[in-house]
Amino acid sequence: MANELLLRADDISYSQGKRLILDRVSFELRRAQITTVIGPNGAGKSTLTNVVTGLIDNYSGKVERSPELRIGYLPQKVYVNTLMPLSVERLLRLTRQSSAAEIEQALTQSEVAYLRHRQVRSLSEGELKRVLLARTTLGKPDLIVLDEPTAGVDVSGEIRMYQLIGELRDQLQCAVLLVSHDLHLVMSQTDQVLCLNQHLCCSGLPESVSQHPEYLALFGRQAAESIAVYAHHHDHEHDVSGALETHEHD
Amino acid sequence: MNMTEWLDDFLLRAIFAGLIMVVIAAPMGCLMVWQRLAFLSDTLGHAAVLGVGLGLMLQLAPIFGVLAVALVIVFSLSRVSSFNSALSETTLAIISHTGLAGGIILVGLLPGPAVNLEAILFGDLLATTSADLLNLLLTTALLLVLLLRYWRAFVAVSVSREIAQAEGIEVRRIQFLMYIMIALLVAVMMKVMGVLLIAAMLVIPTTSARLFSRSPEQMVYISGLYGLAALGGGITSSFHFDWQTGPAIVVSATLLLLLTLGITRLVKPDLE
Repeated sequence: MANELLLRADDISYSQGKRLILDRVSFELRRAQITTVIGPNGAGKSTLTNVVTGLIDNYSGKVERSPELRIGYLPQKVYVNTLMPLSVERLLRLTRQSSAAEIEQALTQSEVAYLRHRQVRSLSEGELKRVLLARTTLGKPDLIVLDEPTAGVDVSGEIRMYQLIGELRDQLQCAVLLVSHDLHLVMSQTDQVLCLNQHLCCSGLPESVSQHPEYLALFGRQAAESIAVYAHHHDHEHDVSGALETHEHD
Repeated sequence: MNMTEWLDDFLLRAIFAGLIMVVIAAPMGCLMVWQRLAFLSDTLGHAAVLGVGLGLMLQLAPIFGVLAVALVIVFSLSRVSSFNSALSETTLAIISHTGLAGGIILVGLLPGPAVNLEAILFGDLLATTSADLLNLLLTTALLLVLLLRYWRAFVAVSVSREIAQAEGIEVRRIQFLMYIMIALLVAVMMKVMGVLLIAAMLVIPTTSARLFSRSPEQMVYISGLYGLAALGGGITSSFHFDWQTGPAIVVSATLLLLLTLGITRLVKPDLE
């Protein structure tokens, strides 16, 4: 069911010692929607994803998840051990059994099927991120949580990565919760923006968030204008080679 | 009992003890190298001297003293912080050398005939008794059962704590189990390798195997083969040239590593 409500967070607060990290944050995640969390460093973005994935459970407030919600998670910092010989295929099978066909499909969706038998330690950072993205799609997740999936990826790779995330959403019909620094790149794929700075400064469609006074105070007018420019070209996007690609929007 | 029988017997016991050690050192060594815990085994080994001293003082078998000291260290460390931080490395060094120093003083103070410190420090494989053998066998069996039961979790935690945690593995519990297993391992390997050389047997064959393994399990099996070859070389040279067995095993393992390095360089010059 499209737009099915998968997760509702109500008045979530979380402190670490005396420091308040999340202050009464509420939001909803719906099937087939991409929600992007933006905010300055230390705004509580990763903490918010940890609340969603269940890694943090001593928050106040309430999180309602749809029953048997399956979550795929790509953490912000993945230190992958280079001392261990490990193939990409094995990395995908690390914590659960998946069939060869499922592995192939997941890698193909993230455009890294050719890496299947490579050793993880020989991958570039961009390749590793793609493989880990493929990993999150295994086991038919209802929700994919991606914490800065493009850190360490070059700009053209970044753009392609965000397109891929959009395609995954379409193919898997899952919700996506995305933490990102570059709203102007995520823009065309995003359905809902949560602008976070401990509290939820503003939320909604990308265009409206980019005009919100609190957003402007946080990111400055220039950032807002760069978004406006992208918003203006909402009906097309550049592929990696720079050629224009028209894009049907609903 | 004639001379030949006696010879056979002690040599057989030594070989059997060595084989058991190789079997358990391969998977444990791999896990410790993956999780960068080799230094912990070294610390527990050094501090084991204190355990030997305490055990003898209380008129217990030294292995119980060693196990007690190792468990106390592991419990206290797991309460403070992660082993990977720089602080912990300093902490480990302090514990390691204080344990060794305190243990040597304690052993020196013991009344009665002088304790063979050399056997404690460098092992005395050829003096393995039936009781030693039984200890080694039982502990190894216990460790193997735990390894088989939790292997997937151990490997996942070694690859990435974050991913393992997010996908429902209780990382802290798994790591704590790992530390206890290392304490057990040190207590039994001490007899064979001596407290100072335990870490070598966990690290050197594993490093050789890492050079051309393609999967975690393959690395374990190949480490086992390297351990076996080192054991063979060590016992043989010990028997024929009267070298101390523990050091002879370590030197054999290192020679094999150098040989492997040389060959892999020749075959695949681009290998890191």
